[in-house]
Amino acid sequence: MKILLIEDEPGIVKSINDYFKSNGVHCENVTTTSDALDRIGIYEYDCILLDLMLPDGDGFDILKELKRLHKTEGVIIISAKETLQTRIEGFQLGADDYLTKPFHLSELLVRMQALIRRKNFQGNNLIVFNEIAVDVMAKTVMVHQNTLDITKKELDLLLYLIGNQNKVLSKSAIAEHLSGDMADMLDNHDFVYAHIKNLKKKLTTAGADDYIKTVYGLGYKWQHG
Amino acid sequence: MIISKPFTAWDINGNMDKTKLLNKTTRSFLSYAIVILLASAPVFYYISEWLYVYETDEVLIFHKQDFVKNSRSNFSEAELQAWNKYNHNIEIVPDMGIQKDSIVGISIFDSTSQEKEPFRILYAPVTLNGKKYTYIEKSNLVEMEGMVISIALMFLCIIFVLFIGIIYISRASAVKIWKPFYDTLHKIRAFEIDKNREPHFVPTDIAEFDSLNKSIEKLIEKNTSIYQSQREFVENAAHELQTPLTLFQTKVDILAQSEGLSDEATTLIDSLNQDIARMNRLNKNLLLLSKITNDSYLEKARININILLEKNLDFFKEQGASKNLSIELDLQRSMYLTTNTTLAEVLINNLFMNAIRHNLPNGNIYISTDDRQLIFANSGSQSLEHPEKLFNRFSKENPSSQGNGLGLAIIKQIVEINGWDINYLYKHELHYFVISFQ
Repeated sequence: MKILLIEDEPGIVKSINDYFKSNGVHCENVTTTSDALDRIGIYEYDCILLDLMLPDGDGFDILKELKRLHKTEGVIIISAKETLQTRIEGFQLGADDYLTKPFHLSELLVRMQALIRRKNFQGNNLIVFNEIAVDVMAKTVMVHQNTLDITKKELDLLLYLIGNQNKVLSKSAIAEHLSGDMADMLDNHDFVYAHIKNLKKKLTTAGADDYIKTVYGLGYKWQHG
Repeated sequence: MIISKPFTAWDINGNMDKTKLLNKTTRSFLSYAIVILLASAPVFYYISEWLYVYETDEVLIFHKQDFVKNSRSNFSEAELQAWNKYNHNIEIVPDMGIQKDSIVGISIFDSTSQEKEPFRILYAPVTLNGKKYTYIEKSNLVEMEGMVISIALMFLCIIFVLFIGIIYISRASAVKIWKPFYDTLHKIRAFEIDKNREPHFVPTDIAEFDSLNKSIEKLIEKNTSIYQSQREFVENAAHELQTPLTLFQTKVDILAQSEGLSDEATTLIDSLNQDIARMNRLNKNLLLLSKITNDSYLEKARININILLEKNLDFFKEQGASKNLSIELDLQRSMYLTTNTTLAEVLINNLFMNAIRHNLPNGNIYISTDDRQLIFANSGSQSLEHPEKLFNRFSKENPSSQGNGLGLAIIKQIVEINGWDINYLYKHELHYFVISFQ
């Protein structure tokens, strides 16, 4: 998977690079609008991560150029600006998702995966991890071909864990992911434990391996074996 | 026109009673006029009385001269008796020893009017047929009283008409002259620096008022720009903080991936995550507050508060689960409000949040809506010590609390810009927040 990261803050670029690399995502970085415009004219990407505030201009110009070139790449805006107007303008100019800074790398990764899945959708939308198969469209989970009785939240959690496999996910990152728009209203992360416990139980009773490992004091990790 | 108190005085609080400028100028006019009137009335009365008496005396002297001149000096004794008989006012009596003309004022009982009347009496020496007599003539001053009174009344009438005229004209012209001043005053009073409207003063041809208006305009312009940059500063600062926060967050995410972290390290990373979340919330709340005052949320729609209350109920139930809170909703009927949807949601969420955060273990949350009210009540062991500070920014009753002290300030701000009202009270071991939509 190859993505273009249009972001001028080197620290953020490095972190994204480091996190994505081990999950099979190759990240190319540009720091200016003009460089970005050069790249999108030549190369194809699976996804574009776009910061709106760039040293030489507005990220919206890049969206306009993508539209003009009839490019089909999915675009996720990652911006410090969080007003309804910029959001609406971003979506109208063809952005697919909008992530406000600060964000968890795990969140960015699953959003990107979901976007790429949507863009590449060809009849089936199945995520398979060994004996576990998740049908994203039908919102069902199967273990050894047996459908699991699973809640919406648990399915969301499962996709998040598999998407971030082999990564330590902090309770706060999980809590914020599960809370969606309500993440700012979080008072405690205790509910994460309950969801993890239920999901774990449902998967193991259905005959799946126990992939969810607890990281002491910090959170959880979806680990193979 | 506002009727002000009749005089200026200091009240018990040491505040001076304020008089309208219009009344003040008219009042000095009036007092001057009253003093002049009071002083001149008796003077006028005495002068007119003196003039009348003087004229009466002259008439008496004239009559006597006429008597002497018309050669009545040859009156016989019989004629004299007849004269005395038919002349009521003039009497010729044997010499009383009067040497020269003298006039006295005296009150005599008058049989016609049955009371004492003022008279002027002339005593004059006359010689008839070589014999000395005294000429006595009296003149009743009774008509004088009536005349003086009529004159005084007329005088009063004229003064009164003059007064009314002066007051009316001075008021009318003063109202006209001071109109720009009151207009300016009214506009300054209506001006609020956190609203985006600067007052426009009506042009005036009075130099002082024009200069006043210009000075105020300059003052407001300067203050507004200072306020504006202050507000932008908060907004920019909050925005600028988001980049270092992102760096912080992503680096902590990377750090968490390190191999062989000790239990101590993972616990620390978790608490770092919570700190970042807290900073982020604080930052977002500051941004929100500044945006609310910045009129960023002007679009209004008709929304059902009950639907908003139920929308995130599951989320808050989950949040309250660790304290084992029970949330009870008593929604009487659909309550519709025309307001900004985003802010209404923020309001409801913050109320929920507050009720969960400041609750007791196994506590309750009661939410009810009725005709024009939304009530949030949550369990609490005691009343707040400083309820008056409750809605202040960064005021926290419990310093160890997770909150940043902006939640209620945001609630208050949203309530205020909508023209609603919020009240706090503590009753039956419950903290009540009552929002009245008027």
